[in-house]
Amino acid sequence: MTIALVVGVGAVGTRAARQLIDTPGIDRLLLADRDDTQLTEVADALGPDAGAIDFAPGDPIPSDVDVVATALPGGVDHTVVSAAIAAGVPVASSDDEHDAIEQLRALSPNAKSAEVTIAVGCGLAPGLADVLASHAATMFEKVDEIRVARTGWGGPACVDTVRHERRALVHTWHDGSWREEHPHGDNLVWFPEPIGGRDCRTVTGSTALLVDAFGAVPRLSLQVGEPPKRARFRRQFGDEGEWGAARVDVWGRRDGTLDCVVYGVVERTAVAAGTVLAVTAARLGGALEPSLHRPGVHGLASLVTPVPFLAELAQRGVRAAAFEGVAVA
Amino acid sequence: MKAFRRLLVVLGVAGLIGAIAKLRGKGGVPPTSGGWRELEGPDFR
Repeated sequence: MTIALVVGVGAVGTRAARQLIDTPGIDRLLLADRDDTQLTEVADALGPDAGAIDFAPGDPIPSDVDVVATALPGGVDHTVVSAAIAAGVPVASSDDEHDAIEQLRALSPNAKSAEVTIAVGCGLAPGLADVLASHAATMFEKVDEIRVARTGWGGPACVDTVRHERRALVHTWHDGSWREEHPHGDNLVWFPEPIGGRDCRTVTGSTALLVDAFGAVPRLSLQVGEPPKRARFRRQFGDEGEWGAARVDVWGRRDGTLDCVVYGVVERTAVAAGTVLAVTAARLGGALEPSLHRPGVHGLASLVTPVPFLAELAQRGVRAAAFEGVAVA
Repeated sequence: MKAFRRLLVVLGVAGLIGAIAKLRGKGGVPPTSGGWRELEGPDFR
């Protein structure tokens, strides 16, 4: 019997909860959120196998929980992950903010000694995009550059994170070492239709997770699109959330020539992020095969085998696409 | 008054140049050939 706990039932957490309750290997789903009204509504909508519990970051993990999925504002899930490591319970976190990811990565020695697997950056990008990069990298003898770009936001907390990241100093991975730069301004990045061209800016964000997975690659970068203005933002978010997209360009050498593989995905951002979070949590909890067990704190590119993971996402409606033609940035 | 008009003209021209630069972006060219193909079974083997 597998029991999962979802902490935070906002835009991403609600979708993750729906995906987990629809996973046959999950027998019981516990939900926690600081907003009691939202929590009760979501628990009621998910049926009898889901139930709301009184749990807040900082509390010990309930004894019968097998896996935790967190979908909380940046930095809040650090205490939840610490408690989970102490309880020996694996965690999937959707946090995508640089400082928060660094705090979680700092817990890696604790997680290793406790034999607990912590998956961080479980969303659209970081998350699905990292797995696509991993899939594309297998096609090359040597990879020269990986560029990840994302536009779209799961909810208000995610918009705040993106605004902060776009203003902050940028740390890029260039020629195998970190380089500090001021924000460069925007570049036009072409995502699959109907998203098309969007202005994106290089940020630090989750670049460290790419470095963990592809440290031998000379150039790694992450770009994020410009979030909507606050007034427009409220109008854009309906019940289904906003459409988002990710694009992954992998440049490398195969058969003696320089080549590029471009993958993209278009989906409602919260749906994609929630599905990635749920599939990762289900695998960590042993409710989906192949189960994940690699003690420490890892991004998805370091943790999952791309093919079965992408196939599972495709089965749940989150499908990636490959660009065929002349690739341009 | 003359200086004020000049200031308005300078601000207007600067705004126009800024708007054009913003609209054009930089570094990106739309893909002119090819398209997106959904990943399917063979891609997952």
